[in-house]
Amino acid sequence: MALIRGWVPAPGPFGELQREVNRVFDAVFGKQLGAPGRIRAGYVYPPMNIWETGDGYVVACEVPGLEMADLEVYVAGDQLTVSGRRAEAVPEQGVTLHRRERDSGHFSRAITLPGPVDSTKTEATLADGVLTVRIPKAEEAKPKRITVHLEG
Amino acid sequence: MAKTSEIPVGASRRNEEPPESYFVPATDIYETEGELVIVADLPGVKPDALSVTVQDNVLEIRGAHPAPQKAPGEALLQEFAAGEFYRAFQLPADYDTEKVQAGLKQGVLTIRLPKSERLKPRRIEVKAE
Repeated sequence: MALIRGWVPAPGPFGELQREVNRVFDAVFGKQLGAPGRIRAGYVYPPMNIWETGDGYVVACEVPGLEMADLEVYVAGDQLTVSGRRAEAVPEQGVTLHRRERDSGHFSRAITLPGPVDSTKTEATLADGVLTVRIPKAEEAKPKRITVHLEG
Repeated sequence: MAKTSEIPVGASRRNEEPPESYFVPATDIYETEGELVIVADLPGVKPDALSVTVQDNVLEIRGAHPAPQKAPGEALLQEFAAGEFYRAFQLPADYDTEKVQAGLKQGVLTIRLPKSERLKPRRIEVKAE
């Protein structure tokens, strides 16, 4: 039986709990629960993946159909805000609608990063409907290698 | 006019078997006077990782959302994942599947199927008698 996947539990203990709840739910109700779209449960837009590297943070957002001109990316303090507007694909008039599942309209999402960042060196790129924002950590937050001197 | 319908999981009316586990792309479908337009969200997908097939009026979309080649670092939040996607629709028999056009732009797939000539609305000249 095919498993339809809708969303991904977060890493860490809460994700583990969600995965366990999913397993029980799937066992009771079967696995075909996925609604169309990439993310549904606890729905927020745009869905994000965030990684921490030694020097900074990498944030990827799925924003299919948007161009850079439709997007605004701000970094203020330790907060990253991604906002924009997604245009409606279906013309308003003169069409017969068979199905509408894609969301449209304004969105804004703000996330707080775990530490201080250097907003002036933030870079954002857009490719294939995925926005990637690279935010370097503030100098004082970067890991520093301490040279150990041998004594005596 | 007949509408497009989703082919349910487990139905035998398919071009090929669906993957074991898959995402279902959000899709808009609408019809104009001249064509049927199917718009599907496929973020991160490149044209070579996507296949669109039409056979016996069954339209199938399949492929994979790519994984980053190497995780950039330690994951703090994971709300979307790599993996295969799949969707199948039964089309009304009134479209010219020979002339189907498909384009992928910024992670959005648009498929256009022209209506067969027979079905296009035709203005009938009314003559005074």
